[in-house]
Amino acid sequence: MAGFAVLSRLQFDAHVRVIDVLPEFTMDQVAEACAAPAIGYQASHPDPTKPLRVRLTTPNDDAPAFPRNLKVKDTKMRHYECIDVFVE
Amino acid sequence: MALLDRSDWYDIARSTNWTPRFVAESELFPPEQSDPYGISMEEWETYDEPYKVSYREYVAVQREKDSGAYSVKAALLRSKFYETIDDAYLSVLKFNYAASIPGEYAACFPEGRMVRFSKAPSMRNLAAFASLDEMRHTQILLNFAHQLATMDRQFDWASQSLNSMNWVSMSGRHAMEDLLHSRDIVTTSVMLHLAFETGLTNVQMLGLSADSANMGDFTFSNLITSIQSDEARHAQIGTPLVEILVRNGRKEEAQRALDIGFWRVWRLFALITGLPMDYYIPLHKRERSFKEYVNEFVVKQFERQLLDVGLDRPWYWDIFLKEVDNYHHTQQAGIWSWRRTVWWNPDGAVGPAERAWLEQKYPGWNDTYGKYWDVITENAKAGREEQTYAIGMPCVCNMCGITVAAAGGTKWDARVRQSEYKGRRYNFCCEPCQWIFDIDPEHYADFDSIVDRLYNGEIDPPTPENLLKFMGIGVHSEGGVDASHLSWAHREPPQMAAE
Repeated sequence: MAGFAVLSRLQFDAHVRVIDVLPEFTMDQVAEACAAPAIGYQASHPDPTKPLRVRLTTPNDDAPAFPRNLKVKDTKMRHYECIDVFVE
Repeated sequence: MALLDRSDWYDIARSTNWTPRFVAESELFPPEQSDPYGISMEEWETYDEPYKVSYREYVAVQREKDSGAYSVKAALLRSKFYETIDDAYLSVLKFNYAASIPGEYAACFPEGRMVRFSKAPSMRNLAAFASLDEMRHTQILLNFAHQLATMDRQFDWASQSLNSMNWVSMSGRHAMEDLLHSRDIVTTSVMLHLAFETGLTNVQMLGLSADSANMGDFTFSNLITSIQSDEARHAQIGTPLVEILVRNGRKEEAQRALDIGFWRVWRLFALITGLPMDYYIPLHKRERSFKEYVNEFVVKQFERQLLDVGLDRPWYWDIFLKEVDNYHHTQQAGIWSWRRTVWWNPDGAVGPAERAWLEQKYPGWNDTYGKYWDVITENAKAGREEQTYAIGMPCVCNMCGITVAAAGGTKWDARVRQSEYKGRRYNFCCEPCQWIFDIDPEHYADFDSIVDRLYNGEIDPPTPENLLKFMGIGVHSEGGVDASHLSWAHREPPQMAAE
């Protein structure tokens, strides 16, 4: 399984960003990759006291967060998967 | 020799329909070009043009318009105006010339198709003049922009944007090919004359003309007023056509064409007009806000015109009204942050005074877009200019070709909408863009956004440098920098300065 792009919504960021992820990435690594081009550039960390979590984007923003150690390859994510990066 | 009055000969002269004997009517007027709705020839012959003009009259008026515009241009050139005006205003011109010229050029063709394929002889007559109008607009805009290219290569995009793979050019070209080149002439007329020209050109031409005059740029002000006088005239071609559609039970089709056309053009106009009006024009020169212009020319006037011809407001009107408050602020943020990818120098222009104006015109601006600019301002003040440039890629809509973004800060509205067609995922920035795709996916399925092209191997290797080159940056001209060299970020609010 090769790497692919996810469409990342960082909480309170104005942009949806295209982020490359690898199958071996954990969700913490996915969150880190998504935050890297946003936080400190055009966005702030939504709450620096809390870890960034990852979930699938849904119309009501109510999907459960993925476990932090779950790997991308163990999800059904594929190219252009829409994800939220947020704090609980 | 005495000339007859126009009214004595006009109706006879433009009744040019005849009964074909050598080919069938369906060959003379193929339905896929002339009328897929099956409206009778008798009905089309009732098309009564809302204005009447002879060729002699047309040429005389156009000649006057041209000589007026060119004489103002010559006078302003002598004054060295463009060498002394600020860079933010030059960006208004760079953006507008390069965005308008391909649109004007594209519009020559559907008018030409109407001359050939319309079943209504009066419409064929008016479309001939309209095609000449669009040629004049293309030529005069190119002529005016060309002189500036020697001063600044970014003006060269006035001609380069036509075939460029820059994401902004692709966005406009996709819309123009959809509305103007890929449909029968009846549907095209609703999209071009009603949605595009009646609906939105007033904001661009009259609003921006007032701001340009305030800047002292009477060349550009005069130029776009001159163009708009043609647009306002030939936009009326759509009115009797829509009335015929509605009268013959085709309101649903006319409404759908309007809804598609208006949304697609709104997306473009919000950028080429909204950004200059609310950001690039210096605060003390702004006539009104973009929102105030849209409310005057679109929300009030266009809505009334739609009802007059028997159509309704587009189904997404509430979404549109919300966007009038928001969309161009979103895109100002994105275009400024990814300014290396465009051919003009966007002005951030969010110092304390500008923020106060934005908050007054758009209540809540500071809590949303202001938060975005707070991060950037902090970087600029700390000398971290490099960090004011965005890195990575934003998601781009597969319909409008513009970034998927929305208000941030205390809101979290940016959201992709997706459709799946023949195993491929398509990304959309909003409900109307997705709706346009979903009602005819085959029509749009082959379009690849700039992001798609990174992943399908078209931009190879997919490096930032190669991406910029693919988009013509560093080829035709350098990409954008902040027009004010971030000076706005270093200004203090008046009370703090006093302390």
